[in-house]
Amino acid sequence: MRGVGPNAHIKREGWPEMKEVFIGRENLLRLIGRWAKDHRVYVPVTFDIMNHEETPDYQLVGDEIPEKLCLEGAALAHTPKSFLFYPREVVAKYPSSDSEAEVEAPPTILVGPRACDVRGIEKFDKVYWSTEHFTEEYDDPFVIEKRKNTYIVSLDCTAAKDSCFCTEVGGEPFPKGGFDVNLSPIEVGFILTVGSERGEKLMAGSDDLVSEVQPNHKEDRDRQRNSVIEAVKRQNAEYAVDVAYEKHELGEDQDAWAHVTQNCVACGACNRACPTCTCFILVDQRAKGGYERTRNWDTCLSIGYARTGGGGNSRPNLPSRLENRLRCKYEYSRDRYGLVTCTGCGRCIDVCMGLIDMREALKHVVTEKAKA
Amino acid sequence: MKNLYRPIESVIEDIKDETPNIKTYRFRPKEPVTFEAGQFVELTVPGVGEAPFTPSSNPNVTETMEITIMEVGSVTDALAKMKVGDTVGIRGPYGKGYDLKDFEGREILIMGGGVGLAPLRSLILALFDDIDKYKKISIRYGARTPADIVYKDLLPKWEQMKNTEVLQTIDEPHPDWKGTVGVVTVLLDDLPLVTTVDVESLPFDPKTAIACVCGPPIMLKFVNMGLLDKGWNPENIFHSMERNMSCGLGKCGHCMMGEYYICKDGPVMTAAQVAKFEDPF
Repeated sequence: MRGVGPNAHIKREGWPEMKEVFIGRENLLRLIGRWAKDHRVYVPVTFDIMNHEETPDYQLVGDEIPEKLCLEGAALAHTPKSFLFYPREVVAKYPSSDSEAEVEAPPTILVGPRACDVRGIEKFDKVYWSTEHFTEEYDDPFVIEKRKNTYIVSLDCTAAKDSCFCTEVGGEPFPKGGFDVNLSPIEVGFILTVGSERGEKLMAGSDDLVSEVQPNHKEDRDRQRNSVIEAVKRQNAEYAVDVAYEKHELGEDQDAWAHVTQNCVACGACNRACPTCTCFILVDQRAKGGYERTRNWDTCLSIGYARTGGGGNSRPNLPSRLENRLRCKYEYSRDRYGLVTCTGCGRCIDVCMGLIDMREALKHVVTEKAKA
Repeated sequence: MKNLYRPIESVIEDIKDETPNIKTYRFRPKEPVTFEAGQFVELTVPGVGEAPFTPSSNPNVTETMEITIMEVGSVTDALAKMKVGDTVGIRGPYGKGYDLKDFEGREILIMGGGVGLAPLRSLILALFDDIDKYKKISIRYGARTPADIVYKDLLPKWEQMKNTEVLQTIDEPHPDWKGTVGVVTVLLDDLPLVTTVDVESLPFDPKTAIACVCGPPIMLKFVNMGLLDKGWNPENIFHSMERNMSCGLGKCGHCMMGEYYICKDGPVMTAAQVAKFEDPF
């Protein structure tokens, strides 16, 4: 594995060279059915809870494809990180003299990640499985094994949520790479793009389900894509700032940060909903035969996050913690990994109980910084 | 694949009281855990959790490891209740060690405050092993009261080492104390502002001398200011940064300081590296 790099199996370079085929809706359902024979396949479905239509989310395919399968719209409620980096996972049992990690990573296919999610996975590769920043001894088996066994079947967005802003952070509402297979919904079915060797394996033996892409299919896809790009751009015009997203310096002005933090209650929902929040906390407890160590998603907005044993705290107040969160996305990850890790998925806006719009927050601190 | 979260069983072989709330533990890991001066390990108290510590013992001694630990939180309080023969876990080492090769031929100032002398002890012992390679070792140590001084038995021995001096202070006057009184920065008073004197007459050459500093954040802040005022090169001032280093692997995020992960890029950071932060300590 080492020496080939974590992303060697993924072609990120370009859209036009990838193999494209047409697949009708019925045949796509058949394809998913074939995959489900020897993989855990998760597909996007709509949920009605108490007559309220929730954001579509993943559901495991059982004997039949779920009736409420939803291959349209924008990003799902959950990010792929839930499948690669579990919210809570046993990472060690001790005492133990076994130095090998016990990892469960059954072959899994995720149908439904959007471009913003696919970009998010890149952060996990950098932190947990990277030849650039870490040596082999830092490889995290719990994320890597799942990553290796999880196939990404992404989807073009066919609509924008109010909170979507991928175009403002260098993205587009359709992935250009990083997927194994991508589906572009068009009027008469889907254009299916094979993005990696792994994707070719997924498609092996299914030539009977696909046909050649016609010029009008591509026109339809381009029209579709452009209309979503326009929609996302239009709804974000009011948040525009003069600085390019990859050049942001958000500053340490505590008054500016206090202003945007007014309604934050440090619940950490934004961390959990974020496709690029990779942080965790280790918790030890008694277990059968000894003790176990679990890894749990953590939130940098909690007061104890940076607290040390003696009670010292480098981020004792909430504005300094929200500052850390946003600067981590725009500045620190860029400076450390060469990657701005806000992908514009808008989930932090969707889930914030204080109704904080991160776009407004960003605009405020960037504007204040420019004034200083 | 190797599990990087597994603690290696280690038996407590000896416990020595240093002060009323500081003890030095000697551990014998069941698998070898070697380290360089400046690196740290994660110590597990079974069922309670982990905390990061820099060993206090000589890095050239590999079968056992000593760590001097103050009772300040859940892990250290639980550890203080353990006895000789009990088992803990150790994983590591993590972070970057001091580049001792780079220290050769130079004057080395070692400044410790309180239990902050503990991590510096592994550095001191490593330096002593090759004492002829260094021009001078000046150990300057401040504690709150005479009772809070760690390594009471070792400090007089260190003073006897070749090219080595030991200066001490306590924060407030005390009937049992005949030496210097004042917070640890008073021990820098013999270093005049360089602009006023001839460099030859200085106790350290501020351009080349090395400073290794460990203590409470407030101490780091003032020692840093003091040394920079006296013309020291920020590349040569090494601070032991205090952050919540939970995983030690540059992943969990708790010790982040800007784009740095203190557990991976530190825990020792130079004054030059932290200069861009408004209040790094």
